[in-house]
Formats: sequence, C-alpha cells, structure tokens
Amino acid sequence: MVDISAPRAVVRAPNLRLWVPLCWLTLVGIAAVFAPWIAPHDPLAQDLMLGRLPPAWIAGSEPGYWLGTDDLGRDVLSRLIYGARIALIVAATAALLAGLVGSGLGLLAGFFGGWWDKCISRLVEIWMAFPPVLFAVLLVAVLGTGLGSVIAAIALIDWTRFVRVVRAETLVQARMDYIDSAVIGGASKLSVLRHEVLPNVLPAIIALLSLEMGIAVIVEAILSFVNLSLSSDAPTWGGMIAEGRASIYFAWWVLTFPLLTLFLTVLSFSQLGEGLKRHFDPVQT
Amino acid sequence: MTALISVRDLTVSYPDHGARRLFGPVPRKTILHGVTLELPKGRITGIVGESGSGKSTLGRALVRLVRPDAGQIIWAGGDRPVDLAPLDEAQLKPLRQDLQMIFQDPMSSLNPRQKIWQLIAWPLRRYGLDASRAAACAALERVHLGAAFADRFAHQLSGGQRQRVGIARAIALNPQFILADEIVSGLDVSSQATVLTLLQDLARDMNLTVAFISHDLSVIRHLCDDLIVLNHGRIVESGPVAQIFDAPSAAETRKLIAAVPLPKPDAEWLT
Amino acid sequence: MSAPVLEISNLSVRLPNDLKVLNTVDLRVEPGEVRALVGESGAGKSMLGKAVLGILPAGLRQTGRITVLGQALDQLPASVRRREVARHVSLIPQDPLTALNPVRPIAAQMTDAMVRIHGWPRRKALARAADLLEQVHIRDVARVLKSYPHELSGGMRQRVLIAAAFATEPKLIVADEPTTALDATVQREILRIIRGLQQETGTTVLFVTHDMGVVAQISQRVTVLFGGRVVEHIDTEALFAGAGQGHAYSRALIRATPDWTRSDAPFAPVPPEVIADLMQEQTR
Repeated sequence: MVDISAPRAVVRAPNLRLWVPLCWLTLVGIAAVFAPWIAPHDPLAQDLMLGRLPPAWIAGSEPGYWLGTDDLGRDVLSRLIYGARIALIVAATAALLAGLVGSGLGLLAGFFGGWWDKCISRLVEIWMAFPPVLFAVLLVAVLGTGLGSVIAAIALIDWTRFVRVVRAETLVQARMDYIDSAVIGGASKLSVLRHEVLPNVLPAIIALLSLEMGIAVIVEAILSFVNLSLSSDAPTWGGMIAEGRASIYFAWWVLTFPLLTLFLTVLSFSQLGEGLKRHFDPVQT
Repeated sequence: MTALISVRDLTVSYPDHGARRLFGPVPRKTILHGVTLELPKGRITGIVGESGSGKSTLGRALVRLVRPDAGQIIWAGGDRPVDLAPLDEAQLKPLRQDLQMIFQDPMSSLNPRQKIWQLIAWPLRRYGLDASRAAACAALERVHLGAAFADRFAHQLSGGQRQRVGIARAIALNPQFILADEIVSGLDVSSQATVLTLLQDLARDMNLTVAFISHDLSVIRHLCDDLIVLNHGRIVESGPVAQIFDAPSAAETRKLIAAVPLPKPDAEWLT
Repeated sequence: MSAPVLEISNLSVRLPNDLKVLNTVDLRVEPGEVRALVGESGAGKSMLGKAVLGILPAGLRQTGRITVLGQALDQLPASVRRREVARHVSLIPQDPLTALNPVRPIAAQMTDAMVRIHGWPRRKALARAADLLEQVHIRDVARVLKSYPHELSGGMRQRVLIAAAFATEPKLIVADEPTTALDATVQREILRIIRGLQQETGTTVLFVTHDMGVVAQISQRVTVLFGGRVVEHIDTEALFAGAGQGHAYSRALIRATPDWTRSDAPFAPVPPEVIADLMQEQTR
C-alpha cells in the first residue's frame, strides 16, 4: 500500500539558541567549579597601591591584572570568577527548589482539578499579590543575610511561576485524546499522570528551570546590590556592580565587567530555555 | 441475535459553563435523552447524526469515558451480564480489555513521546499479556504495517498509517467490542478506503462487535450491518442498514441521505 | 473567446529547503466558470489558492506568472498588487470561526472591505450587506448584522463569509474547502448558496476541495493536482461520464470516493501502480 502523504524528512538547522548559550554557561560553570585554580589572584586581597588599575590593553595597566582592579586594588577578573560560584549555586538551588515545589503543585492542580485546583490556584494568586523584590528584601531581613536565606527567598517567591505554567500545560495535555486512549488501554490515574502527562509537560518544566536560573541570578544580584545577600566583602556580581557605581567616572571597568557578565549569563539562561524547548519538541517545527 | 451491549434509557449531561450564573451550581446540559439500543454480537452498527446529535457522547458512554446520569449499559461479554453505568474506574479496568476504542484524530490520540511499539505494548503489559516488541510488531503486521514502523514516533507517520496504528493498538488486546469514532474523517479518500477495508476484514476475522460513528452515509452503507440515526439526543430510526436506505422512515434520515454529494454530476442536487 | 479571468503559467512555489509544493503549474480559468481544484493532502491545492490571493506563508518563494484580468500580478509593486487583488479577488475561507474578528460585530466586518475598495459610503455598504445576507438565506438580517461571530452557528458564520466575499463584486472568488468544517446537511445548503450567487452574478469561482463528490456537483471543469503538479484539466461531465475519459489517477480518486448507490467493491484505495505510473510520468 502506498501512502502518498508520508511526511518528508526535513533538514534541521542547528539549534543556535541551544548551543551558543550553552557555550557561555559552560565557561561560567568551569569558572565557578575551578575558581581557586583559575583565578589569578585572591578575590579578597586588597592592595591600595594597585587601586583602580585599568584592564590589560589600556596604558597604565599592570601585568597579571587582565580586567584591572577596583578601588581597593582587588583583581576584577578574580572577583568575577569567584562571583560565578555564588551566582550559580544560588541559581541552581533556588530554581531547583522552586521547580520541584511549583511543578508538583501545578501537576496536582491541573490533573486532578476540583478542590486541589481551587486551593492551589487561590494560594498562588494570594502569593503573587506581594511585590516580589520587596518580598525578597523582607524575607532576607527576617531570615538574616547569608547564602541559605538568599536561596530560600528566591525559591519562596518564584515557585508560583512553575505552578502557573505547569498547571496550564497539564490542562492542555489532560484534554488530549491520548489520555482517553490510555484509559481505554487500562491505565490507572497515576500511570496516566506518570507516563502520559509528565513526559509531555517535562520539556516545559526544563525550559522554565533554565529561565528561572536566569531570574535567580538577577534577584541575587539585586539583593547583593542592596547589601542584603552575603557579607559585603564576598565577591558577588551584584555587590561588584554596587561598588563599581561609585567609581564609574574614574574606573569604568569596575562597573562594566560585572554588568556584562551578569547580562550575558541571564540572557544565556533565557535563550537556553527556548533552545531546550525546541530541542525536546518531537515534532520539529 | 444476542446483544453484546444493551443500552437502556441512557441519559447523559455535561456541565454547561456558558450558562453559569454568579452563584449556585453549574447548570447541566442534557446531551442524550433516555436512549435505548442494542449492539448485536459480531455485527457492525453505524451511528449517524449531525453534530450535536449526541453520537460521540453515546460512543464515549458505551466505553465509559463519560459517566451516564441515568440508565443502564448492560455488558454481556463476561460470564454474567454487568451494568457498566455505575462502575468506577477500578471496577472498569478488568473490563476495558474487551472494550476498545479507535479515535477520530490519530495524531492527538497517540502520545507523541512514545515509540509506536511502546504505544501498542503498554496496554498489553497492563493486562499481563505478552508485551514484547515482537508482540507489538505482530499487531502492526495485522494492520499491514511492517516492523520497520515499530521504532518511529507518531508524527513520522502519515495520517492513514497513524490510524492503522490506532487500530493495531485496539485489536492487540483481542477485545470483543470496538468503538470507532469518526476514524476516517480526517483522511484522504485513498487512505480512507485502506483503513475501512482493514477494519472490515479484522471485524470479520475476529468476530468483533463494532460501533461505527460517522457522518458519511456512503461509508455507513457499505461498512455497517445495522444503523442507528440520532437527532438532538434521541434515536429517530434504527434497523438493518439495507432496509433503512431502501425506505427511510424518519425525516432526519432522509435529510442525511440526501445530503451526501455523490461522485456523479446531478443537476438536481444543488437546485 | 473572452480573456481568461485567471491565467497562471509556470508557477512554482518552493519551501525554504527548496522542496517544491507547487511545480510548474499552468492554469487558465474562463469568465463565469466554476473550476474545482482537487487533490489529496500535500497535492498543493490550497497553496495554489493562496498564491492567487498573494497570501502564501512567509518564507515561501514563488516563481512564474499569475495574471488576473489581464494584469500580471508579479509585475506590479507590492502595494498596487494588494489593492488590485483585493478589488478583484475574494476568499471564502475554510474555517468560518477564525476568519472573523471575534471582537467586532458582523456589520462592521462586512462593510469594511466595501468602503475600503470601492469608497462607498458606509450606509450604502450596509444596505448591500443586508441585501446579501438575505440572499444567503439569513432570515433575521438585522439581528445577524448586530451579532458578534461567537453568537452565530458554524453554518451561519459561513453564510456571512460568503455574503462578504460577494459583497465587493469580485471577478474571482477562491473558495478554500469552505464546507469541510461543516455538517453534511449544512454543506449542501452552503454549496447551493455559493452556486446560486455564482450563477446570478456570473462570478468565476476557484473551488478548492478534496471531495470528488463536491467536485461532481459544483464544478464545470476540474484541475487535478498531485504532488504539486497538475495531473490534468478536464471537463467535469467528461471525467465523471465513466467512458474512460480522464487520467487513471483522477478516475482512481473517483473510485475511492464512497458512494452508497454503487453496489460493487465499496472501498477502493488508489492502486499503488497508478501512483507509481503517475510519479514516473511527472519526473519525465
């Protein structure tokens, strides 16, 4: 039998949105993991004699200080590298926590509906009525500064994002014929949830995780900026930006490089999310 | 003729969110008003009607994808007759092996993230049958799809091939009853003919009882033994297909038959 | 013989990956003719209708010539082309729900095109809209004009769209599977309306469909497409006469179409050898 409508194989363009951000994030990741070996200097070592050194390609620079030094003579590159550590730890843990809680509740609300849905949806609506950054500032103020508090604050704010997306996606999936088809094939509710709904919702969750990591990096930077993250000494990107602000007219590099790093990282996370979504789509469009 | 399924006074309603008021419960809209019918063993029964006639709802009630408000669905496929209407999902599970369904849209009824052989094998495993890749391939052979299709995904198949996978999935469980809900309405005529021939052959070879929902009277005439005509949730005519086409008694039936555009020019048809 | 309303020569449409969805298509449609464009999915029939209307999806490349009323569209600047197409060609779409703007009443949507194309005053356009709604057998014209699309049934919406298509007095109407989303009984009514208005106004219609039954009832001539190429152009009477006229593939399509009045082998797929022959013929 001939089926003339058989779909043709389509040559797929390389998924740039997946691979370009992945390259940058791998770089940041390596910097974070191997910081003590890579960083040319101690990120906390001050040397007032070497204050405000310009980057290596500008006259007046010192060898070994590639991106220059800040007001207190600390090496900008080394601080960026150590800052990656904090940024990634916060991003990964906070996003994972928010993702686990939010996705779980979203699946329950979307799949079982009824009272589950009513209770969870109301809770999310109330939660989202708080202004997020103020909420974070308040939380850290209550919990005290420190890595754990920052992570907790971000997770506590952003789990609602996962609930909303996952619930909506689950509702779409629950209406598909293949759910009925599984029931006809004798599948239990739990089996339908695990084998039919979850695999189809998972790509959305993964894409959202990536996006959320970008958001977590930003929120961490904001908290550092207002000095509510770690001790003011610790090399965080947000803290560096805050300090660099003061010397913008004398030493632009102190502000510019952490800002650029932050920008590229957040952009990469959000693009990676899109790229992953496309990568996991079985029906390539 | 003994009936495999006897339906008595079946009433089904859905919540009508459009008519919802600010307070109070969501009103319900009745789709089927006390329908009574029999599906004789080993025969293909056509169910026709316009959209909104309740034909799909009737089908979904037969395989208990919807729960009826009232009435009985007597299943005579077991040791003794069982009323399916009040059963819950756990009680239905052992019976589902015998009550299979082929869906209208094979794309949305096949999980896009499972391979074809897995789609067929998973239900087999749930009933303790041989759920190997080989068993799934055997089912594919029966719908004239080779083992080459086993490792593909649904979107890599054409519409006709997908619908044959839907059939393979249903017959793999060796059921007594199959509900076919508009299974060829999305297909090209050529694939339609292939799928219908296949269904006809399988139904005969396996002595299946089939409820065939369609809006295409020409297909019904050639495929089905019996016919049920629905209009606004009520049965307006039923009986052997040949008899109804020779002398339709209900106005709705005559209207449906006259609405078929036949592949031969007829100057009267559009005047 | 008068000049053709639509003349297409050597039209090809390529996907970004260079696959041809339409391949060297020639087509000539005479004034007042109802021409059916028939084929299976993937044959390119809808794409051809879209090319005539100049609404091909982005990314598709078109070569060849489309001439409407003697004007070669590809020779005109884009803005002029859009105006010329809007003036002379209308569309009856497949899905009557998505073709109407959900937040505007029917009256506004029907009169817009008339005001824009012909510069008629709103009142005159409204009178014509009401007149046409009566002609498509809508009883409560005043109410329908005030309604929003979701307040009408599928059949009613399709009637509104037919009235709107004829409202601008086009020379050519592209009907893109206008009844596939409708019930069989509604389909007959809609086809009657299109046929009635077409005969009254003498408008030329390009009727895209996959249903050989519809082809037999509504068209005078048929263009059969397969794999983006024209299989044949033939008179409808001749093709369905059963006297062996027409291409083997076209006849196989007719045989595959279910017909309750026929008593021989009911379900006949297009034989593989017919497809094989046709593909060989096309690659030559």
